[in-house]
Amino acid sequence: MRTPSGHKVYAIGAEYWSASELYEADKCVRAAGFKRWDVYSPFPIHGMDEAMGLGKSWLSAVVLIGGITGLLTAVILEFGPSWLIYPVIVHGKPFNWATVPAFFPIMFELTVLFGAFSAFFANLIMNGLPRWHHPIFNWDRFARATNDGFFLAIEARDPRFSEMETHDLLVETGGLHITVVHEED
Amino acid sequence: MSERSQIVPAPEGEYFETSRFSGLSLLLAGGAVVGLLLCLIGAVTSPEQFSFSWLFGFIYFFTLCCGCLFWTIVHHATDAEWSVVVRRQLENIALLLFALFIFVIPILLLRHHLFEWMNIAPGANPVLDSKRQYLNWPFFVFRAFLYFILLGGVAFFLRRFSVAQDRDGNPRCTVWMRKVAFAGLPIFGLALSFSVFDWLMGLNFRWYSTMWGPYIFAGAAGSSMSLLVLVTTALRQAGYLKVVTLEHYHIMGKWMLAFSVFWAYIGFSQYMLYWYANIPEETQYYLVRNTESWWPLSLLLVIGRFFGPFAILLLQGIKKRPHQLSIVAGWIMLMQALDMYLIVLPSLHGTGVHLSIWDFLCPITIGCSLAFLYLRLIGKTSTFPVRDPRLIESLRLRN
Repeated sequence: MRTPSGHKVYAIGAEYWSASELYEADKCVRAAGFKRWDVYSPFPIHGMDEAMGLGKSWLSAVVLIGGITGLLTAVILEFGPSWLIYPVIVHGKPFNWATVPAFFPIMFELTVLFGAFSAFFANLIMNGLPRWHHPIFNWDRFARATNDGFFLAIEARDPRFSEMETHDLLVETGGLHITVVHEED
Repeated sequence: MSERSQIVPAPEGEYFETSRFSGLSLLLAGGAVVGLLLCLIGAVTSPEQFSFSWLFGFIYFFTLCCGCLFWTIVHHATDAEWSVVVRRQLENIALLLFALFIFVIPILLLRHHLFEWMNIAPGANPVLDSKRQYLNWPFFVFRAFLYFILLGGVAFFLRRFSVAQDRDGNPRCTVWMRKVAFAGLPIFGLALSFSVFDWLMGLNFRWYSTMWGPYIFAGAAGSSMSLLVLVTTALRQAGYLKVVTLEHYHIMGKWMLAFSVFWAYIGFSQYMLYWYANIPEETQYYLVRNTESWWPLSLLLVIGRFFGPFAILLLQGIKKRPHQLSIVAGWIMLMQALDMYLIVLPSLHGTGVHLSIWDFLCPITIGCSLAFLYLRLIGKTSTFPVRDPRLIESLRLRN
């Protein structure tokens, strides 16, 4: 979708007075059936994910897989050499499965390490990071999102998006400074 | 979501009608009286076995009550919001420490059967002589009194101010309770640690563990959170505590998971350091418990107290289903009993498991007595602190 002057439209954004107004506007936008939209606030608002209908994140599944990978890595790297390839008697301890107490700390550490790495990188990927720039920053007022501004933006790629109706919806919800945000400067 | 509480509690609170449960109350009282009489017979006919069984039963409920006291203290010290609705039940259970004060008397009377060090004359054992400043009878009995005065005192004042707040809603009570809680944190840590040094580690004076206090604490905190889940579910079944929502269950489930992990962490740390260092006076503890017929029970403890609950409680869904969570909670409490059993009884039966009727009768007797007192206690006050300034935040809890 393009504006009459030929700019590609990224979204229509609106500003709200307070977190609670933003929260109420959320419910309306969600009820209207939009899928591609987001809210921006200077601080986390409790219950916002629920009001937006975001559901449960898939991050935990990725972390679980990462953790299990770490555990298996430790098991293979420890039991492989010390039990199968090159058994060495240390402290007169056995080198069958009963040596496992010595290996537990490494298993624990690698589980945590791989879990943390997978959480970090999966989080970046799921958020589309790293990136140089985001179209939402083409909106001048948006700079206040890290200070005292509460914003809601409905993206143009949403199938229900139409300039007039979306604009009206945002007016109905009490949005101020409703602005068409361009894809490029 | 609709799961959240829409209930606005009445300002006068919600009262448990003890008269509705007079049958249960009578049953528990009967169980307690008959049990105590049978225990009297046991104490006379087989004092050796009985004293260990009684210590097992006593320490199981002692850890549960101490755990509930811990959660009450932590609630105030951290200014928590979520636990307001369940706090009164924690306070009630913690107050049962006063009843446990009576149940410690058989341990003091039968001390010569339990604690080997009390039967050794001074000068006979150099290891013991180096510990005589701590391990002597007058100091031992003084400490036993001190633990109950300190722990019971904290429990008493926390409940007293909380109940006083029910009447007038005075926010000063919250401040007072916070002060008691700050004082209570070191008191709790020291009293619990030293009491289990005396009563559990003292069973074998040659042995020591630097992890002992945290180990018992980890089990106590996790199992008392499980007890809270069971009590809350039971009260909800009876038509009370509807202010507790699935979100509260979710948090209680998270604590159960956290303390299953913490228990395993502490327990394994203790085990691995012994295993690595291989010093005879340390390894003797596990040598008894990891051989003969004790070994399968030790294995069951590791799997049942950690691996099972850990895997199950990782799922978010189970923490939001009260009945399924209650099953896990009951299992954890059973495992806590097994943990205490494996600490106490191998000191008597070093050659293998030797089940006795008293191993069941003693915990049942103490349990019946405490449950009876608990039923009397919850009827006296509102089932939740109805004028706590943070009640509304607690009702609106979301994870």
